[in-house]
Amino acid sequence: MAKRDEAAFDLLVARYQERAYRLAWSMLRNAEDARDLSQEAFIRLYEAAGSFRGRSKFSTWFYRILVNLCLDHKRKNRWWKLWVRDEGDDRTDPILERQPAPVIDPVDKLGRERTMKDLGAAVDRLAPRQRAAVLLRVQEDLATYEIAQVLKCSEATVRVHLHRALTTLKKTVEKR
Amino acid sequence: MAKHPDTDLVPYLRGELPPADRERVARHLEECPDCRQDTERLRDLLGQLSRSIGEPPGVNWAHYRAELRGKLEARRGQRVWWWRPAPLVLSASVAGALLLLVAVWSGRETLTGADPFTLEEASIGRQLGLLQEYQVVERLDLLEDLDLIRDLDGLASGLQS
Repeated sequence: MAKRDEAAFDLLVARYQERAYRLAWSMLRNAEDARDLSQEAFIRLYEAAGSFRGRSKFSTWFYRILVNLCLDHKRKNRWWKLWVRDEGDDRTDPILERQPAPVIDPVDKLGRERTMKDLGAAVDRLAPRQRAAVLLRVQEDLATYEIAQVLKCSEATVRVHLHRALTTLKKTVEKR
Repeated sequence: MAKHPDTDLVPYLRGELPPADRERVARHLEECPDCRQDTERLRDLLGQLSRSIGEPPGVNWAHYRAELRGKLEARRGQRVWWWRPAPLVLSASVAGALLLLVAVWSGRETLTGADPFTLEEASIGRQLGLLQEYQVVERLDLLEDLDLIRDLDGLASGLQS
């Protein structure tokens, strides 16, 4: 990769494309943006391949590029996305289904599915870095020190992000 | 009782804590029912979270890679455009600026404070010796007879007399 070997790059893309796209989608909840930004991350990776020093895992380095792109994108589009949120995101459930459930709701399969949806929506509402920490932990199964490398912060900060995020999410579940 | 190890609970569940910290948290959990309950809730929540995030819409990966390749090529093209002609444009601009500077500097003594067109005409006029006979020059437009033009000196003396 350091020699910009085209075949090696193609192999890397093939290996990471699904993870990159899924993580970007989980952070942005928009398929088109996820596609664009995950591709942009590969391009940045290609351009910066020579600067990879091997101090961290390659996947961690790549995640850092991707997560930074997603955080930047969210920052730039914050107000616009708030305005068009219901048109822009990819959640397939209509807005009525995202409203709080009726008080009397039997604990059955439907109830559990609804809890999952509420939980997913609560993840979307987390602060961007908290959400990134949760997704990297839960979805990508990264260790705390790896999340710290991706988010370029200390492990203690990651623990605080996770604690705050999970406390918020716990409240969402307990409200039901 | 020691401070509740709130931020250590997730790393504890994942088994990431160093032995001393793991021991400390385990001891605390034995003594603190609230933290024990919290830990169980966290364990459940982490399990639920992985299922709640959902899956993105499907992608045609061959198309995705082709698109990526296209973007990469386009980016390379931009870089080539940017990188190669830039020094040429830059050097041409610098050369042009230097030439302009030299021209301005050399012409400064003669051109300062004057209309460049008038000065140019005066310069040409001096070389032709015509402006001294301005009246003659003024009438040249009217004279189409080449013989008269050829005999300008005679015409000039005639006018003076």
